[in-house]
Amino acid sequence: MMKNVMEVLFLLMLLFTVHAKEKSYNPPEKPALTRCRSPEKETFTCWWEPGSDGGLPTTYALYYRKENSETVYECPDYHTAGENSCFFNKNDTSIWVNYNISVVAANALGRAFSDPVDIDVVYIVKPNPPEKLKVAVMEDKGWPFLRVSWEPPHKADTRSGWITLIYELRVRLEEEDDWEMHLAGQQKMFNIFSLRSGGKYLVEVRCKPDHGFWSEWSSTSYINVPDYFPREKSMWILVAAFSAFIFLILTWLLHMNTHRLKHCILPPVPGPKIKGFDKQLLKNGKSDEFFSALVVPNFPEASPSKYEDMLVVEFFEVKEQELMLEESNDLLDGGLKYESSRSDSDSGRGSCDSHTLLLDKCREAKEERQTNRDGSLIEKQIRQKDRKEEAISPDISSGRVKTWPSLYSPLPQYGSNPLDKQSSLEMAKQHSLSISSFLTQPGTKDALGLSYMDFCLSNKQNHVHPQTQVQTRSNVNISNIGHKHAPAGLHSPTTQYVEVQRVNKEDMVLLQPVLSRCGLIEDCPHLPKGEDYSKVKGVDYDNRLLLQREGTGEDMCSGMDQETNGERGNCYTTSTVSIMQKPTACIYTVMPIQEGMALTLNGYVDTANMGNLPSC
Amino acid sequence: MKKVLFAALCLVYLELSMRVVSAPICSYGQAGCHVPSLADLFERVIQQSSRMHSVSSDLHSEFEQYFFPSKNIMGKRKCHTYDILTPQDKENAQRLGREQLTEVIVTLLRAWGEPLSELHQSMSQDQHQDFNIYSSNKALEISDIVHELKDGVKIITDKMRLMGVLSNTVGYNSPESLVPSSAFYTQGDLDSMDHHDLLYCFRRDSNKVKNYLRVLKCTTLPELGC
Repeated sequence: MMKNVMEVLFLLMLLFTVHAKEKSYNPPEKPALTRCRSPEKETFTCWWEPGSDGGLPTTYALYYRKENSETVYECPDYHTAGENSCFFNKNDTSIWVNYNISVVAANALGRAFSDPVDIDVVYIVKPNPPEKLKVAVMEDKGWPFLRVSWEPPHKADTRSGWITLIYELRVRLEEEDDWEMHLAGQQKMFNIFSLRSGGKYLVEVRCKPDHGFWSEWSSTSYINVPDYFPREKSMWILVAAFSAFIFLILTWLLHMNTHRLKHCILPPVPGPKIKGFDKQLLKNGKSDEFFSALVVPNFPEASPSKYEDMLVVEFFEVKEQELMLEESNDLLDGGLKYESSRSDSDSGRGSCDSHTLLLDKCREAKEERQTNRDGSLIEKQIRQKDRKEEAISPDISSGRVKTWPSLYSPLPQYGSNPLDKQSSLEMAKQHSLSISSFLTQPGTKDALGLSYMDFCLSNKQNHVHPQTQVQTRSNVNISNIGHKHAPAGLHSPTTQYVEVQRVNKEDMVLLQPVLSRCGLIEDCPHLPKGEDYSKVKGVDYDNRLLLQREGTGEDMCSGMDQETNGERGNCYTTSTVSIMQKPTACIYTVMPIQEGMALTLNGYVDTANMGNLPSC
Repeated sequence: MKKVLFAALCLVYLELSMRVVSAPICSYGQAGCHVPSLADLFERVIQQSSRMHSVSSDLHSEFEQYFFPSKNIMGKRKCHTYDILTPQDKENAQRLGREQLTEVIVTLLRAWGEPLSELHQSMSQDQHQDFNIYSSNKALEISDIVHELKDGVKIITDKMRLMGVLSNTVGYNSPESLVPSSAFYTQGDLDSMDHHDLLYCFRRDSNKVKNYLRVLKCTTLPELGC
């Protein structure tokens, strides 16, 4: 019986225990102190967060200890500040004293202690927001601004200096989202400028002690800014008028300087700069007038010399297209130009390509070119001459008479020339020769001999290029020939004889007046002064250009004019003819001068008709 | 001989007439010099104390970050200025009156002169060079400010006495406590008290000084709009 009761009791207890365990009552969890705040540095409040209460009614108690004291006090006021809080009133609050605070949670099953917290009241001050915020619109010289004023929170005693607050306010338009912040320092009033007319503004303010936390923002104050648009409008009118004025001035300036601007932007195309060149005459189509205009009086300038070695220069230009020896429209260029399709005359040419280049400069250049060409025979001859003549040239070049720039046209490669190289070479050889005028020194017989134009213009090729043309042009007329038909308006008071001084590399024939020589040597009484022209009589088999005087058709040479080889009696008289021979023709002197052959209308050599000449 | 005498006389006369007269110190409002007003003096002093407090606060927080990552609980040690009685709340401070308040301020400042210079020296010699290079400068600055403040407050008290604002009354602190600072702090105490505690104590005391000065100003010159 007893056993049964005991068993029943045991079972009941077991059941009860089990039942109790199912409900799981626990001792409370550890609470935590969340924060402590003092609004005016005279009182403060602490809040805590309770943990789980474990299912049982739990009580919380806050205990604190002051610095350097072992006495534990309990929170005096749990209610003033609300739930789970402890309020320390003025009597219990000591500033600059370290408080050690902890909260204890207790229920039937146990107690739990929170972590202790050390606080010094002076560092936990968070004031209330400022009060009595007032906003008003005021005017400053016609421009409105906002005057904001407020008062410190009533609890904070700033009057006694116990607490010092600094303020901050923020402003925004009603329709916007971004606030404009302004730090106001310790003052309780602030002005806001740069308002939008007609806008509605929101203003708020907050405060903070020197070392502490910012308060919450105060309640918002609304203000309407009245319109001041008319004033803005007048300003715009002023701006518009000013800019119009500026624009007018700019336009006027532009108008004044259009001419200069045009020059800047569209520079004028330079025209030809040739003395005596007259477009109008050209347009009129009267070539005579035009060419006569080109002739510059007193050109070339000659220093007064008793030898009257006025230079008479005639030179031929090779023209690709025609065979005529007359002046042609080529001369319209007014210069010593090629009529080659490629040559463009003076501009842009290198120094050696220029027409008006002193011969000596291009000696080396010509040498180079010569190496590429056929006609080594010519080269040899020319070089021979050159060598021999070197003695002369320095003397000569120091003559009184101004030297003309020797013209030559190496006739640069006619790239598109259908001719083969050899013919082009010949073409190259046919260039306008300029004659340097110089005073001839009394020379030796060798010098005299060398002065003949020993010139073979032939090359290996035989055929006459139909397209070549020899043109001549005289700058200065030394004879009646020149007068009649010199396109350049030859007119010279005196005529002179010119003989070949030498031939340079580029097959340039340098002619020198013979008359002076004659005069000096007094060996040629026959030669009239300045009357006779020499014409090309022909080219002898030795590739020497034979010249004769005009009209005679016969030799009239004097002894001194005889060539050195003396094989024929042809005369090499002074002649002002510089011949540019076409590449293929060889001129032989064996032929007597025939009108059809040698003379064109102008008395120039027409090498075109010399096709029957034997080849060199 | 006569010439020499004449020259000598001239020189003497010139010297006498051209003697430079040094201007007197303008603390008593002599004519011809600008005397700062009490308000200006207070303003200056309060600025100084504010600066002192902010520097010490920075130094303390740096110290805490560098050496004690976790929040440090003040040890059991007392500050060496514990014995100086200071008002711990507003009523007490207002009840104290200007004279005693001034006295408290001066006492506090005097108590900190020496420890701060020792702190500065100690910090410059410390092996924690990364931290101490900048902090020793701050310690030096604090030391200088405290010294200046002492002089400034003395000037203010003199001026207030002159103005009749201050009267000679019984000190707040017992005469025993008004002993020189060395009583509170003996040399070598720095070993027992580490830098951190010292900085903690000074931060608090500088706050006290600042606050007391403000209270003093606002009670003495209420028209300034505190």
